[in-house]
Amino acid sequence: MHWNVSERVGRIRWVFLPLGLAALVAVGAHAAADVVGDRVLWLVDRVDAFFDAIWSSWSFTAPLVEVIGLTQRTWFARAVALCWELAADALIAVPLLGYEERDAAREWQLGRDMLRRIRSPLLLVRPAATLLVGIAGAFSLARMVQGSVQLAVHLSWLAHFLRALILVAVLVVLVPRAVFRSVEQERTAPYRMAAAVVLLPLLIAAVLSWR
Amino acid sequence: MRERLPLLELLLSALCLWAGWYHTPAGALVRTAGAWIFGTRSTARPLLAYFAAGTLVPPRPPPPLAGPVPPAQALAYGAAAVLDGSPAELAPRIRALAQRLGSDDAALLTLFCGEDAARFAVAEARSSALDDLARVLPPRSEACVARAAQAAMLGGAYALGWPLPESVRITSLFGVRDHPILGGRRLHAGVDLGTSIGTPVHAVAAGVVRRASSDGINGRIVVLDHGHGVVTTYCHNDALMVRDGQHVDKGQTIARSGSTGLTTGPHLHYQIDLAGEPVDPLRFRAQHPKTALGATD
Repeated sequence: MHWNVSERVGRIRWVFLPLGLAALVAVGAHAAADVVGDRVLWLVDRVDAFFDAIWSSWSFTAPLVEVIGLTQRTWFARAVALCWELAADALIAVPLLGYEERDAAREWQLGRDMLRRIRSPLLLVRPAATLLVGIAGAFSLARMVQGSVQLAVHLSWLAHFLRALILVAVLVVLVPRAVFRSVEQERTAPYRMAAAVVLLPLLIAAVLSWR
Repeated sequence: MRERLPLLELLLSALCLWAGWYHTPAGALVRTAGAWIFGTRSTARPLLAYFAAGTLVPPRPPPPLAGPVPPAQALAYGAAAVLDGSPAELAPRIRALAQRLGSDDAALLTLFCGEDAARFAVAEARSSALDDLARVLPPRSEACVARAAQAAMLGGAYALGWPLPESVRITSLFGVRDHPILGGRRLHAGVDLGTSIGTPVHAVAAGVVRRASSDGINGRIVVLDHGHGVVTTYCHNDALMVRDGQHVDKGQTIARSGSTGLTTGPHLHYQIDLAGEPVDPLRFRAQHPKTALGATD
């Protein structure tokens, strides 16, 4: 039996496509979480100042003020951003590992039908987050490729061309699949309200990271 | 159509995995877990180092100063501390690079990551701030970016002024000591400057007020963020003259000193943090004001 390279690669797509989709969304989630790091630190500072005022009211709780200093606040703010990112990964990247490819036309048809049946805005949060974070991942990936090519071969036009090519290719080939899987998975996904709390700020952060 | 795409899909998926593997905390977790399972050594950075584009890595303490730092050479002193070089040799080089590339941060990036990387970052980044420049560089630039950030941090610390007149005595130094009120050995994370109530306290550099609040331990406290991971703190004030989020200039009066919070007498607790780690403020000054230790907290 004769197989060409494309056929050989096609037979293992069930492994690399889900992994690629999950990695794309993880890259986008990191870009989004990183861009709001300063705002998280600001929030942690406000919360710490509020609690410091309370703890210092009584002598037996006063030592608690010293427990959380600037070092801990900085560490804690980054830990909050990290936990937020990992929670987002668990909610929208990990489920993509369950992606099963179908015929393209069938996938579109199924996706449209499922979207039409959605009755609550809560059911749209995960797919919307997957879309926006996936786009953030595409931007981030394209930028990394551009930087790597530029610094390796010093051909600016090639680096720019590859950046544009990768961006468009990811937006066309991978992002729609990620969104489809997210819509499909949302029908049975638990903890919708908790997911919305984690993902709604991520929607804004993802858009802020686009460039 | 899709039947002709597998190679493209494989390439795109591989790129996504490469980016996720090397550029995200999730990838670092998987790498670390893999290294643990197979008993090998992980090359992943600590998870929190993946934020702020890897620019918040605390520097090692700089060597003691032989003489005063000329304000124009502060950045060269920072770079020299990281490179173990000579500030006098680095200063003109940094000045020339800054003029050519448009910012001090780009000059530092050139020094540590090379001119190609710096020029590319300047052309592509949304601002000339070091973290924005670092964000557009590929993952393999992490180590040199961290060193450039440390140089910028130390340079920022060398450029700081002093919050009170030089004549004000230091009554307690930085370091582990017996706490005069709470007892026990604790790190005194700054220096105490013995001064009378109502003395104007000045911002040691331009920055943004990250905190202007009050509690029973630190009293009325101001925290200023000067960028590049340099943060200064002023505690036990009698009155605050600034509010959260306000931009302040170097030398601007930000508070009046006092004896609020947990103190044994009027003084200003002045603290410098680099990347969230407290450092001895006197490390960045050649001429120390006179000391009269053990007087306050």
